[in-house]
Amino acid sequence: MKFDVIIIGGGLAGMTAATELQKSGLKCAVVAEGLSLHNTSRKEFAEAGGTLLAGDRVVSGKLSSGKLLSVRTEKLGDVELEAADFVLASGKYFSRGIVADMDKVYEPLFGLDVEYDADRSAWFDASFAAPQKFLEFGVKICNCHALKDGEEIINLFPAGEVLAGISCAQGDATDRIRSSAMDAVSAIRRK
Amino acid sequence: MPNKNEFDVIVIGGGITGAGTARDCAMRGLRVLLIERHDIATGATGRNHGLLHSGARYAVKDSESAEECIRENKILRRIAANCVEDTGGLFITLPEDEESGYGLDYQAKFLEACNKAGIEARAISPREAIEMEPSVNPSLIGAVVVPDGSVDPFRLCSANVTDAVLHGAKVLVYTEFLDFIREGDTILGVKVLDTRSGQTAEYRAAVTVNAAGIWGHGVAAKAGVNIGMYPAKGALLVFGHRVNNVVINRCRKSADGDILVPGDSVTVIGTTSTKVPFEECDHMEVTPEEVKLLLREGCALCPSLASTRILRAYAGVRPLVADDSDPTGRSISRGIVCLDHEARDGVKGFVSITGGKLMTYRLMAELATDAVCRKLGVNKSCTTAQTPLPGSMDGRIENVSKRFEGKPTAGQKGAAGRQGDMVGKILFETEADKQLVCECENVTLAEIKYAVRELGVSNLEDLRRRTRVGMGTCQGTLCIGKAAKALAEALGKPELAGKLAADYLDERWKGMRAVGWGDTLREMEFMQRVYKYQKPFSYDEV
Repeated sequence: MKFDVIIIGGGLAGMTAATELQKSGLKCAVVAEGLSLHNTSRKEFAEAGGTLLAGDRVVSGKLSSGKLLSVRTEKLGDVELEAADFVLASGKYFSRGIVADMDKVYEPLFGLDVEYDADRSAWFDASFAAPQKFLEFGVKICNCHALKDGEEIINLFPAGEVLAGISCAQGDATDRIRSSAMDAVSAIRRK
Repeated sequence: MPNKNEFDVIVIGGGITGAGTARDCAMRGLRVLLIERHDIATGATGRNHGLLHSGARYAVKDSESAEECIRENKILRRIAANCVEDTGGLFITLPEDEESGYGLDYQAKFLEACNKAGIEARAISPREAIEMEPSVNPSLIGAVVVPDGSVDPFRLCSANVTDAVLHGAKVLVYTEFLDFIREGDTILGVKVLDTRSGQTAEYRAAVTVNAAGIWGHGVAAKAGVNIGMYPAKGALLVFGHRVNNVVINRCRKSADGDILVPGDSVTVIGTTSTKVPFEECDHMEVTPEEVKLLLREGCALCPSLASTRILRAYAGVRPLVADDSDPTGRSISRGIVCLDHEARDGVKGFVSITGGKLMTYRLMAELATDAVCRKLGVNKSCTTAQTPLPGSMDGRIENVSKRFEGKPTAGQKGAAGRQGDMVGKILFETEADKQLVCECENVTLAEIKYAVRELGVSNLEDLRRRTRVGMGTCQGTLCIGKAAKALAEALGKPELAGKLAADYLDERWKGMRAVGWGDTLREMEFMQRVYKYQKPFSYDEV
């Protein structure tokens, strides 16, 4: 199966990017675990002719010389979903877009470069109400591109909470998430 | 008219030992004052496994402690039926124990020692052990069944305090001991600070009992008396659900992280033992090293712990006491230490009760009360081993539940489980009263109102210790806004809701920070999202 853009994640960032891109004439597919999928945005995307792989999730991807060629999902098994561009909108810890274990923080799908503090004692503030550093961790970008081992992946665009610096606890989180999705959309359109 | 500030005995410390001592003294007809600087069960009492020891753990090394434990185990099952769950226990032998000298030869020795101490123990096959407790490490090579159980230390402490009050004792929480009132070599009473109002007060009694756990070291020092104490920190982890239904122990010399105890809706692994400075006792933090060790040892008992969400970590301090008979102060007495400071140090009117453990609190209280009665010339014998605690009178929860009209709701069943026969005092008058506030632990609005009315609750932590509100799998994430509102209204101070919730969240946050990775971190992000971004209550006003 081949698309112009595959969007990984159906939350606010993923659906914003997907709907915009689909409406501008690109053939899009969203892979989304059901829970985060908002009914209104789902409907809008479907009406624009987008493909929705609901209740499924991306499990791996094929990277080659700085490009993501295809991804595989849990339900489609061996089927490779190819696209020219990919949006990574997989969220932070709760949706497992970012995973923390005892010693490190990582991006589980592609092993992207993640910005985090190696000193675990700095992750939290003792006061629940204070800003919490762990919420700021996330993948790094350069020119809207994801990075792996310091090198840009030129067709993979992270958006939303998976990004370093964007977190659910920020008062203007919705605006930041939308605007990061629009950045990814603009970058894809420019190509 | 008697002076309201005069008593026969003042007990310092609202942990299980102080609560038990206050109860025993009150039951023997003494006028009792109990003072506690925080809330009841805030020290080591509320920071342990909640294990109803069979005594098997001590059988090989310390037969005296083992016999003490099994005697008290049987007594607690009788007098505190509502605080105890008869889970049974297993002592398992793993293949690697053979290499370290704790193989099946040791198991035979262990069995013999148990039976000698009066602990019913029998060996079963690995297959039988797996049938009895499916979560046990399947590679075990041997197992022994013992009469271990679990005990809710909050409930036990609260029941003792309640009964002391029913017998006329006065209990002052959030009342800190400042100094003794002293005349020559005689202690006449105590000076205290009400930490909520900032007011000081004086209370007098012929005898003062120091039951302040590890903080008893400082209390004794104020009387010019030295008790050689060692604060021994013990760290524990709580898992997100009840992984096992039977207590699992390792059949070897006592070591770190070798007891896994199911209690209510969760499972607890512990513990470690590290000597810490006295200054640290008020600010315990669990270290990553302790967590790693507990996880490693816990997984040896029950492999599925590796993939189970850790709810939180906590630590308590055991009040270990140096043996008076050893001049170097190096050898530790593991047993109960009851010191009459008149005989020992020439200070009159002062008794310390320390050492011991949760399991033997009743016996400790008995010994301390005996010492008090000797000093007062009172000739009354102890009846605490025969008299059930409030909540445990009927014994069986099924009987208690019959008091509800129709079929009891989940909230009513939960309340009956926690409050036992005291559940009759919970008023389910309106439909709102029956509504669940905490859905993990099935706590209703009616139970919260009851706790405020009858159990001396002034904040959400106090409420948690008496009702388990917010202690379940969501750690208050989904209920603390509701609980804070309900509590603030029951207290008649609705404006306090935001502050109550914020304080509670800080305490939960502390326990989660120590294990902040993996699924616990996911939960932490969720908690932040609920309370910061969605703002279900006015957090900004806090």
